[in-house]
Amino acid sequence: MTGTIDTLLQNLDTLLLYVLAAGALVGAILMLVLRQPMRVATALIATMVCLGGIYGLLGVHLIAVFQVLIYVGAVMVFMVYAIMLLDARDPSVRSRFSGLLVPGIVAFALFLGALVYGLWQSVPAAASGPHAGLTLKAFAAAFLSEYWLHFELTSVLLVAAVVAALAVIKVHRTDHGG
Amino acid sequence: MADKVPLLLSLAVAIFALGLLGVVVRRNVLVMLMCMELMLNGVNLSLVTFAHQTGTAVGAVLVFLIFVVAAAEIAIAIPIVLLLVRSKRTLDLDAYTDLKG
Amino acid sequence: MHHLLTLIVLLPLAGFLLNGLAGPRLGKRFVTAVGCGLPILAFLATVQCVLTLNAAGDPLVERVYTWARIGESTFDVAFYFDRLTAVMTLIVTGVGSLIHVYSVGYMKEDKGYARYFAYLNLFLFFMLLLVLGRSLLVLFVGWEGVGLASYLLIGFWFEDAEKARAGKKAFIVNRIGDAGFLVGMFVLYSTLGTLDMDRINAAFMASPMPAVSASLVGILLFIGATGKSAQIPLYVWLPDAMAGPTPVSALIHAATMVTAGVYMIARLSGIYVHAPEASQVIAVVGVLTAFFAATIAIAQTDIKRVLAYSTISQLGFMFVALGVGAYGVAIFHLYTHAFFKACLFLGSGSVIHALSGEQDIRKMGGLAKKIPVTFVTFAVATAAIAGLPPLAGYFSKDEILWFAFASERGGSPLLWGLAAGTALLTAFYMFRLLWLTFFGRSRMTPEVEHHIHESPFSMTSVLVVLAVFSAIGGFFSIPHFLEPLLPMPEAKQELHHLETPLVVVSVVLALLGLAAAAFFFGRDAERANRLRPRFAGLQKLLYDKYYIDELYDRLITRPLYWISDRVFLRIGDRALLDGTLNGLAGLAQRTAGALGRVQTGNLHLYALFVLLGSLACLLLVWRHV
Repeated sequence: MTGTIDTLLQNLDTLLLYVLAAGALVGAILMLVLRQPMRVATALIATMVCLGGIYGLLGVHLIAVFQVLIYVGAVMVFMVYAIMLLDARDPSVRSRFSGLLVPGIVAFALFLGALVYGLWQSVPAAASGPHAGLTLKAFAAAFLSEYWLHFELTSVLLVAAVVAALAVIKVHRTDHGG
Repeated sequence: MADKVPLLLSLAVAIFALGLLGVVVRRNVLVMLMCMELMLNGVNLSLVTFAHQTGTAVGAVLVFLIFVVAAAEIAIAIPIVLLLVRSKRTLDLDAYTDLKG
Repeated sequence: MHHLLTLIVLLPLAGFLLNGLAGPRLGKRFVTAVGCGLPILAFLATVQCVLTLNAAGDPLVERVYTWARIGESTFDVAFYFDRLTAVMTLIVTGVGSLIHVYSVGYMKEDKGYARYFAYLNLFLFFMLLLVLGRSLLVLFVGWEGVGLASYLLIGFWFEDAEKARAGKKAFIVNRIGDAGFLVGMFVLYSTLGTLDMDRINAAFMASPMPAVSASLVGILLFIGATGKSAQIPLYVWLPDAMAGPTPVSALIHAATMVTAGVYMIARLSGIYVHAPEASQVIAVVGVLTAFFAATIAIAQTDIKRVLAYSTISQLGFMFVALGVGAYGVAIFHLYTHAFFKACLFLGSGSVIHALSGEQDIRKMGGLAKKIPVTFVTFAVATAAIAGLPPLAGYFSKDEILWFAFASERGGSPLLWGLAAGTALLTAFYMFRLLWLTFFGRSRMTPEVEHHIHESPFSMTSVLVVLAVFSAIGGFFSIPHFLEPLLPMPEAKQELHHLETPLVVVSVVLALLGLAAAAFFFGRDAERANRLRPRFAGLQKLLYDKYYIDELYDRLITRPLYWISDRVFLRIGDRALLDGTLNGLAGLAQRTAGALGRVQTGNLHLYALFVLLGSLACLLLVWRHV
């Protein structure tokens, strides 16, 4: 009985994975095709959520949470604000694609083909059996011990971002003669 | 889940490539930005897959750092785009050819 | 005492530096004191060296420093003083000092006074390097240096384009000769491994002989001598060199520089003794030049030009002597020639000075009473050059004629005949000069006549000294003095009895020349003027120097200009060099322009490049997988 539940659960995991993967892919393709920027944003959000789900399935729940919190909750919201601020009646909405559509698609096909081919040539070795996902405890410990420098550097990066934002505001102010 | 690694990596590659294609073919500036975010997501996926595969924390840490960078980047990129649009009065990227030559 | 030779050389150099750098600021007195004093000191030092030489017996050698060390060969700057050098150095410093003193009076009014003395001292420095040098290399430095000084002094009044051009001509023609000289030096060095002249002589006198044709070397070196000593074909610069101040003509183009070629060949007698072909060439060229120049001198009307061609002619005589192996005799004639030719040139300078710049003898006449000292000294010198006994010229010319006739090493009646004919012509044109300048009625313009004055003491004193030496100089037998060094050639046995008759003949020829000159040019050249129309063509040919200068211009100068312009300038420089450079620059520009079209400013395109680039990288990496 437990065996069947396990296989059922495993099958469920696999099914969910396929669904989420398909969702992500469809979202990405839609991004390229939709006309209105708002709809494109929505497609991206969908892709991101699907990816978050995949992270969860892979056991890194912490990252899944961060994906939704930061990427969808902050980045995409900001993006949506920008879209709302800017004019919808823009020529780029009527003609979506640049002049390089065909060369782009060709190059894309080649690129993707090369990557996938290379990937399937060197199939990575199977992992050492199922294992527990990443716990918050392990994650935090790693950050504070081995990757503390990277952690500190991110704060530097954020300071830089703040300064840049201030600079942008200043420019904006001088533009208005204020 | 371990045997799905090739699939996941292919998915990551596909998402990345689609993002890059999007940068090449879409005209709207904001859409281009969103395609760049898509590229980052593709990379994130591949990193998480590796983290899952090897069982170490490295991949997750790197993903976290990429979150931070993406946030900072978008925080600055959007205002820049706003300012540019203010001066050019259009979101069409073909109008931004000041760096010609 | 040990560095006396170096001192002799350095004194004039110091004079050049002092006068050249500080002269204009320090005034005429200073310039005169330094400019004349240092050469006189050099002369005294030379005398001391001669005494030392007499006492010691062996030549004095002074090594100054090592100039260069290239691989295993060493090139030293060293000075060598034997009897031959003694004679030359005494002439150079002695006559040189006298001419410096003369210049004080002659160049008094000139605003380039300090520059003049600086150049003159520079010349003396180089000339002393030339005669005192032990190796051909040092001699060559002096050789080139006197050429430089000559250029500077001929073109001294360089504001006049003609004079500047004369200086340039002298330098360039000399350089042509120097090419031969250099090749000769190269041959000598490559076969003997040394350029020291005493060693070269020793190598040629020893047996076995060095593995090089002595005649080849001899001729190559002689080519240099034709340039410096104005023989055919490179004599053309000397008449033009009269554009310089007269004391310069006296010093450089009569007494010292032009004799450098004679000295060089006499110094390397060791080679020429074993080079009968080269010696033959020298003798023939010498006698032809002598005769040729004498014929031109007959028809010249510029007082200095006559003397210039006379110098060329007398140098020819010296080369005849060298050609028949009578090296000591050639030096003897060099010695006497220095005195009477310098006296003649300085005398002409005195005349020109008296006549406020007039040089055309057709516009002179009747000066004998007006400038007596000049006249007397000029007359004595003229008699000397004509070969009237017992003046100096008689002794030296006579020896030359004798050896030209009878020397075992190339003497022949033909050689003697031409030489004797030249002697006749020499007497003729020199006395013609004397008559037209000093006798008869005055043909001068009234204002020139009004200003006639005898030259100052600084000038006349020198004239007197030189005239005295022209008179008595012959009694000191230089050939005898140089015998141990330069043995006289044997005279052919069967011709010995002709020695005295030949002497008589040469005296008769001199007197004949005198008489003919008096006949034609006495009484205001009355008879010459009557005969002129009949010989107008011949006279024009001689006056125009056989059109040799024009010939050279047609044959050499103009083709060279053409090649220079058409080939080297237009094709070589402009088309090839400039074209290549500009072409490369243009290529870079066009390439940059073409490549620049990649930057369209279109961001989509850049992104596509990123895509393609990464694709290329991937393929590159995965080729090896």
